[in-house]
Amino acid sequence: MRFFFEKRTDTTPLGHTTTIIGAVVLALVFGAGFLATVGVDPLEAYTLVVEEVFLSSYGWQDLLVKFTPLLFMGCAVALAAQMRLWNIGAEGQFHMGTVFVTWGSLHLNPDTWGWSLLLVMGLLAIAGGGLWGSIPGVLKARFGVNEIITSLLLNYVAVAWVDQHLFGSWRDPASNNFPITREFADVARLPSFGNTSVHFGLILALVVAVVVAWVLLKTKLGFQIQLTGDNPDAAGYAGVNGRLLIILVFAFSGAIAGLAGFSEVTGIHYRLQQNISIGYGYTGIIVAWLARNHPLGILLSALFMAVIFVSAEMLQIEYGLPIAMVYLYQGVILFTVLGSEIFTEYKLRLRTA
Amino acid sequence: MEFLTQALVAAVEMGTPLLFATLGGVISERAGVINLGMEGLLLVGALVAFVTMLGTQSYLAAIGAAVVVAGVVTMVHGLVCLVLRANQIASGLALTLFGTGLSGLFGDRLIGKTIEPLDSHALPGLSQIPLIGPALFHQDVLVYLSYGCVLATWVVLYKSRLGLTIRSMGENPEVCDTMGLSVLGYRFWCLVAGGMLIGLGGAYFSLALNSYWVDNITAGRGWIAVALVIFAFWHPLKALAGAYLFGFAIALELRLQLLGIGLSPYFLKMLPYLLTILVLTTVTIRNQRRGIQVMPAGLGQGFVRGEKY
Repeated sequence: MRFFFEKRTDTTPLGHTTTIIGAVVLALVFGAGFLATVGVDPLEAYTLVVEEVFLSSYGWQDLLVKFTPLLFMGCAVALAAQMRLWNIGAEGQFHMGTVFVTWGSLHLNPDTWGWSLLLVMGLLAIAGGGLWGSIPGVLKARFGVNEIITSLLLNYVAVAWVDQHLFGSWRDPASNNFPITREFADVARLPSFGNTSVHFGLILALVVAVVVAWVLLKTKLGFQIQLTGDNPDAAGYAGVNGRLLIILVFAFSGAIAGLAGFSEVTGIHYRLQQNISIGYGYTGIIVAWLARNHPLGILLSALFMAVIFVSAEMLQIEYGLPIAMVYLYQGVILFTVLGSEIFTEYKLRLRTA
Repeated sequence: MEFLTQALVAAVEMGTPLLFATLGGVISERAGVINLGMEGLLLVGALVAFVTMLGTQSYLAAIGAAVVVAGVVTMVHGLVCLVLRANQIASGLALTLFGTGLSGLFGDRLIGKTIEPLDSHALPGLSQIPLIGPALFHQDVLVYLSYGCVLATWVVLYKSRLGLTIRSMGENPEVCDTMGLSVLGYRFWCLVAGGMLIGLGGAYFSLALNSYWVDNITAGRGWIAVALVIFAFWHPLKALAGAYLFGFAIALELRLQLLGIGLSPYFLKMLPYLLTILVLTTVTIRNQRRGIQVMPAGLGQGFVRGEKY
């Protein structure tokens, strides 16, 4: 008795959706198993999640707050992925963005710059993330160096760079030696909606998502990006400068991740501190993958990942579980989704002798 | 002289987990499977070794458990990317996330707990060689085991029929399939064997390098090992040189911090990662200039009979 895969002739969008939902359910079951091993009743925990996250207004606020950086990151990773490039360095580009933004807040006088300070800080974030992102881009385009490894390693460098500033000259003298900068001026903060913690970064993220979608689906540049991703040789014959495009795409991707950093420090923390990103950059990879890099699908998958983050924070408060739960669930979800993809194209059949 | 001798001892210590992980990567990539889950597997190995050591007080049990569990976790990666034909890169990243989460979740309760680290044993005679003697021959048992693993990997991959088959799997799976060999089987078990070696590297972090549990104990060394596989030209003997070179860089970073040299510790922390990028770039440029194709030609490509990927 042997199993084998038989190609389907009847692939439907519905089948695809069912498979993904099935994979997510399976992941939640596996996750429940891990909860049980650390002494948490999974049913109780999942019920709490539904009550506290979906059925409370605070829950929705938290969801939108987490959704914001994840939407940025999903767009950043998906843009590169459309060209078959892996940007695993969004985490570092995010950190570089926050460093540039904070430099602006510490060195530019809010009285002379006024409201335009926020604009300048946004541009600084784009520059910081974009420059950091273009390093793996240049190394790939010019020398063919594997972008997965370089972009990933630069994350560790960027985090050390943030620490260098926080434990050095940027530390607030009034902070009792905590590694935090002094608070940003009022004009250097993104406004929030009413009394909620949801801030203007959400709008910015949605704008970025629409722009990325428009560029990819409606412009010549987007066509060139996809063409080069699918068939670099054909793109080359068609006159596309593939090398330049690699650098550009990585720079844009990094700039978007840098903007995520801008949105987090000016919208939530109002200062630079450690652990501003709890793996948002890595999550961006999953966000993009679940959406198959489609800009609109990213809205859904970013929201789903936001649910994971908010739930994990809730479990942290309720049961004292570490925030590393997020990575565990992400790993399991990515595994089950990847493992289920084959069932949209194939059927599992039993070979009888 | 004293400083250099000590730095070399530390270089071998820091290089040993990299060596195990790089060897593991060499085996699976030679068979054509990329394992980007190295960082996660190192963390799993470290966690399992530490927990088992706490429970049993037996190094043998701790090492064995780390190897077995890392092997089992690698099977998940193998199931997803080989049996279920998913993207190897994405599946490897899932493995890293999974391992990071697992070690974070269960390691949370271990913070502050301590174990007795492995003792060093001097090999009579050999350890008296000036400079390199203490570094290579006055070490703990896992370091000696790593020499054995290098030798064994080299012999199997380059001096045996099995090794020839394994390397063919990475170069041209179609031909292997035509010869009636199971591409899936060979690739799966090479990936798992590699994963077990990586688990051994993870055990080294908690049994030898640290006496207490710290969160994220491997600090990204798994990714350095991913780059080292390329740096080592997918060859076990070159992996030895590469691992010790990077071990030296890490040891130097730690030593310079202790000496209180004027450089900021955060700049020193960047050094191993920057060095990795620099070396990777140099190696890539050199290979291109000379037109050498050392990367296994079928690396990362799925194989299904009758279908072109």
